[in-house]
Amino acid sequence: MALLEVDGVTSGYGDMEVLRNVSITVDDGEIVSIIGPNGAGKSTLMKAVFGLLHPWQGTITLAGTDISQYSPFQIVRERTCYVPQVSNVFTSMSVEDNLEIGAYTLEKSAIGDALERVYALFPVLKERRRQKAGTMSGGQRQMVAMGSALMLNPVLILLDEPSAGLSPKLVDTIFERIVTINETGVAVLMVEQNAQASLRMAHRGYVLASGENRVDGPAQSLLDDPEVGRLYLGG
Amino acid sequence: MKNTEVADDDDVTDDRAGAGSRIGPILRSRTALAVLFIALGFGLWLLAGAPEVPAKQLLSLTVWGVMLGGVLALGSIGLTLVYGVLQFPNFSHGALITLGAYIAYAVIGLLPPGSELGPFSFGWEFLLALFIAMPLVGVVALAVDRLIYRRLRNQRAGLVLFAMASLGMAFFLRSCVYMIWGPDFHFYYQGRSNPAMELPLGVRVQADQLFIVALAMALVVAVYLLLTKTRMGKAMRATADNPELAQVRGINTEHVIALTWILSGALAAAAGVMYGLTSQLRPEMGFWLLLPIFAGTIMGGIGNPFGALVGAMIIGIVTQVTAAFISPAYGPAVAFILMVVTLVIRPQGLFGGSA
Repeated sequence: MALLEVDGVTSGYGDMEVLRNVSITVDDGEIVSIIGPNGAGKSTLMKAVFGLLHPWQGTITLAGTDISQYSPFQIVRERTCYVPQVSNVFTSMSVEDNLEIGAYTLEKSAIGDALERVYALFPVLKERRRQKAGTMSGGQRQMVAMGSALMLNPVLILLDEPSAGLSPKLVDTIFERIVTINETGVAVLMVEQNAQASLRMAHRGYVLASGENRVDGPAQSLLDDPEVGRLYLGG
Repeated sequence: MKNTEVADDDDVTDDRAGAGSRIGPILRSRTALAVLFIALGFGLWLLAGAPEVPAKQLLSLTVWGVMLGGVLALGSIGLTLVYGVLQFPNFSHGALITLGAYIAYAVIGLLPPGSELGPFSFGWEFLLALFIAMPLVGVVALAVDRLIYRRLRNQRAGLVLFAMASLGMAFFLRSCVYMIWGPDFHFYYQGRSNPAMELPLGVRVQADQLFIVALAMALVVAVYLLLTKTRMGKAMRATADNPELAQVRGINTEHVIALTWILSGALAAAAGVMYGLTSQLRPEMGFWLLLPIFAGTIMGGIGNPFGALVGAMIIGIVTQVTAAFISPAYGPAVAFILMVVTLVIRPQGLFGGSA
């Protein structure tokens, strides 16, 4: 049984249909990358999985539980976390307050350990724990956002364009961290503009276009597929 | 190559704009606004310090200003919390203030009249009335949310609809007060006086006024501790900062909204009960407090509880001190002018983020 199973989901905003009969699966401990052109519905898919939108048709199950109609705060209790692409930190709050909010559903006694775990992964956050998140650089904000999501020690983490707006060097750092996080047993479902790089670190990939599944398979086979390369990898 | 050219162009533009572009931001800074307020305040002191106004009176007026500021601050903090979490200006906040005062009046009427506590004009039943009115008005605020605002939220209604609904609610609640208690003035205690005490430096204040300052400060400190030290407080700040992200981080924002209403209503009730102690109870009392409360909230930076406290204090003190040389009836006008000055110079307020 897959950890996350999106089965034939159709959804959108208001009357506007964005996703049409989309199906994806994520297994335990996997990195799955979703690529596709702008407007393909990649971010919408993430929101639908996380309960910010509900499917009009189809189901979403997480470890066998139907979460199609769950609110985000209920999905967090299933140990799944989401890092949105933009405004993903509380800008008026300190780094440490941001991380503590990430652990909102934890027992108070468990927060200390969770903080140490995240600080070990992102040492710069410990140095700057009193700084307001809104005054940090893009890369550090991304670390705060990912750190907050990791506070709960999730089984699955959803990343929406973790490299957006970062310098190439920072992109490498963030991608390395994602691999490190995955090696601790966390399954990763990510959406990326930076398709080549994200497929190189992923186990499997999906190509989404116009809100529909196009191609899927092991990441390497997508990288080798000449048509995928021509249409979606810009080469 | 192209990028470099663009960068060069930007530099040139900066130089051409010259002094103008550098002075603009300085004039709009927090320091500039603070300096302006201090200058205004000092100017008022000088104006008011004309021979016919003795320094003693000015000092007393300042102390009364701190008291009024404390009452306004309780209203402003509640208003700013609701704005932060729900993103709309709650025009019915004044009606909650009125309701708090009248509920306290009703409780005092039901209880056997006790004797005065020490130097104060009120007895233990007043304190009991205060602690009954606070949670009760909190529940009323929550009930209004459940009846009206939650439906609008679920329909994703716009800001204007929320603001209009709250204005309608203001009239509705005021009408309820009229129907139950009538349009006449009321006092908590008929015919009791509270003579002013002489403090050092010739300051004349009533014991009741000192009680109001102390209680307002105690409540403000309690709110500060709640927001900065407790989990629920942090969840409230997070929801005010970014509601969608708060949900994503596992916060049940409906719980946060409910608690915000209860807290906001309770603080409004405390403000009303205390304001009723210094003057009489009228059905419009809260409506007239709405303007200075909004002025304080905007001045401090809407959505920022600490800013609301400072803004309300400034409004309270300036309103009282100007009463030394212009008719106190102009009090609301003074608050309005300060609000407009803030909006022109620094719309995000003293403690708001960079807009």
